[in-house]
Amino acid sequence: MKYVVETQDLKKNYTMGKVLVHALRGIDLKIEEGDFIAITGPSGCGKSTFLNLIGALDKPSDGKVYIDGADVSTLKGNQLANLRRKVGFVFQFFNLIQKFNARKNVELPLAIMGVNKKERRKEAEELLRIVGLGDRINHRPTELSGGEQQRVAIARAMTGNPRFLLLDEPTGNIDSKTAQGIVALLKKLNEENGITIILATHDQNITKEAKKIIHLIDGRIEQANFERGVN
Amino acid sequence: MREGLIKMKILDVFKYAWGGIRVRKIRTFLTTLGVIIGITGIVALLSLGEGFRIEMTSQFEQGFALNTLTVTPGGGFMGFGGGDDGLDLYVNDTETINEVEGVNIALAIISKQVNISSNNNPRTVSLVGVNFTQYSEIYGSTFLAENGSIPFSPANDTIILGAGIADPWNNGTLFASVGDQINITWAKGYILNPIITSYIANVSAVLKEIGGFGMGGPSDNQIYIPITTAQEFFEIDKCDQIVIQLTDSDQETIDSVTTDVETIFDDKVSVISPVSLLNTISGLFSMIELFLAGIAGIALLVAGIGIMNIMIVSVLERTREIGILKSLGMKDRNVLTIFLGEASLIGLLGAVLGIALGWGAANVISLFLSVFMGGEVGGMGGDFGMGQQQAIALSITPIVTPTILLLAFAFSMLVCILFGLYPARRASKLDPVEALRYE
Repeated sequence: MKYVVETQDLKKNYTMGKVLVHALRGIDLKIEEGDFIAITGPSGCGKSTFLNLIGALDKPSDGKVYIDGADVSTLKGNQLANLRRKVGFVFQFFNLIQKFNARKNVELPLAIMGVNKKERRKEAEELLRIVGLGDRINHRPTELSGGEQQRVAIARAMTGNPRFLLLDEPTGNIDSKTAQGIVALLKKLNEENGITIILATHDQNITKEAKKIIHLIDGRIEQANFERGVN
Repeated sequence: MREGLIKMKILDVFKYAWGGIRVRKIRTFLTTLGVIIGITGIVALLSLGEGFRIEMTSQFEQGFALNTLTVTPGGGFMGFGGGDDGLDLYVNDTETINEVEGVNIALAIISKQVNISSNNNPRTVSLVGVNFTQYSEIYGSTFLAENGSIPFSPANDTIILGAGIADPWNNGTLFASVGDQINITWAKGYILNPIITSYIANVSAVLKEIGGFGMGGPSDNQIYIPITTAQEFFEIDKCDQIVIQLTDSDQETIDSVTTDVETIFDDKVSVISPVSLLNTISGLFSMIELFLAGIAGIALLVAGIGIMNIMIVSVLERTREIGILKSLGMKDRNVLTIFLGEASLIGLLGAVLGIALGWGAANVISLFLSVFMGGEVGGMGGDFGMGQQQAIALSITPIVTPTILLLAFAFSMLVCILFGLYPARRASKLDPVEALRYE
């Protein structure tokens, strides 16, 4: 069957100063549609590197990454950029465009895809309603709380029906109470909208909601907990 | 994932670029200022140059005698520094010059500043003593009577007035007209103890309006008396210049007569053809124009470096933003277009404002020029040996041609895009992972 993401002996090395760092030492993983996967592990274990690779932001040093069946290592700049449109990225620090209001931030990926103004406006407003910001559409990031900003980022990631959402420490920069709301939202998106979610986190609140937990240590999968898996 | 739609609309790219410019108003303005100054300079100079060229051409067409040479005492350029080491020209030198091959007529001219009055309206004007017959033969298209007639065997007390002398205020109130008597007063050379002589002349003709330079020939602000009268009245045999009419106006004749006349007077006179005079003037003007345009070009170059500098800083500042755009699926090409779009918007802004300001500046300059050089500045031509003492009624109307507009526009855009290319490329080549990590 075709997986949303599949990695085969995935390795990534990079140099930090003069030191060669083996960030990933061979990861084999298959992610199916509808999954809710939490990747955990201490800092420096390779979580972010792994997310960058399966989000087509980076290329592997060795091994394979297939995103929606496409081999990332064979793709060139533009194709890679297009592949990123199948991935909805959410970052720890939200990474919203400060000069844009919530709606325009959500519209941005649609503009990049070439969707016309009317359509992208409609879709952005719809998505902002889904993440619970129907009344915050015209607010700028500076006028929104951390939790609200992260909701905007999630709405932005969901534009254009991506194959999966990729979240790097989505609650890492917001207080635990607000974080609970984000977790609830992610759970809702996964269960009600059937959106595949892959995230890296330290947050127990999230891991307990995930269907699968993958524990990374030193660039290897230390433990894959599929007990919660229901698919 | 929506299929098929993977190409960002160019309008959206430019809107994004415009947003980038708009949030940095002061920076954008200062960056654009350099371009504005450069384009202002270029447009002002080119439009003035164009106006000047057209003015010159029309002057040429206004009875300009191309088949003439002007001989003045002294070997200096345009008569500068003449007199001291040069030898004097005499009225009867025309006989010698007449012998030269290629000379049709040699005409002596005596020029003086005199006071004239009619009905107690004293004025200082340039007086020209010439042989009317020969003068009208040489300058047939400008030495023409509007009122009265030019006598070819004039009485001693005949006087002919330029149009500007007869009607100096241009409002119908005449200083004098045909048949009037004019008192001519001349103070001989000594400042403290001048010898004042005077005589009364009868106006026999008023010339048609000539306009423009009247370079090398009659002008509106002169009066004319017979040369014999001038010799008697001023008690001199020297003349200020000798105008030669050539048998032909080709360069060969001009050159050979010039050489021959210079040889006769031992290289102590200067022989100027109006063609070479005009060439000298327009050459001088072109040089000044080129020099100033060069400065404007340098201003534009500096502006370009400024743009590059600011854009490199801007790319650095927005590294994270670029990372976000790339993570959202924006292609390198679109990132490049955004930054080039910002550069070209600066170019567009600079071109539009520069053209407007340049046009304004050119008009202000031409206003100054006409104030300083126009009107009744009678003495201007005198010491330059530029024909007789006469006004240079120089009025340049700046002309902005479509070519100038296009040139300014293209130059502005070119500079901005050229200098924006490197920063824009740098932005487009950023690695998304590193860009997102950038603090």
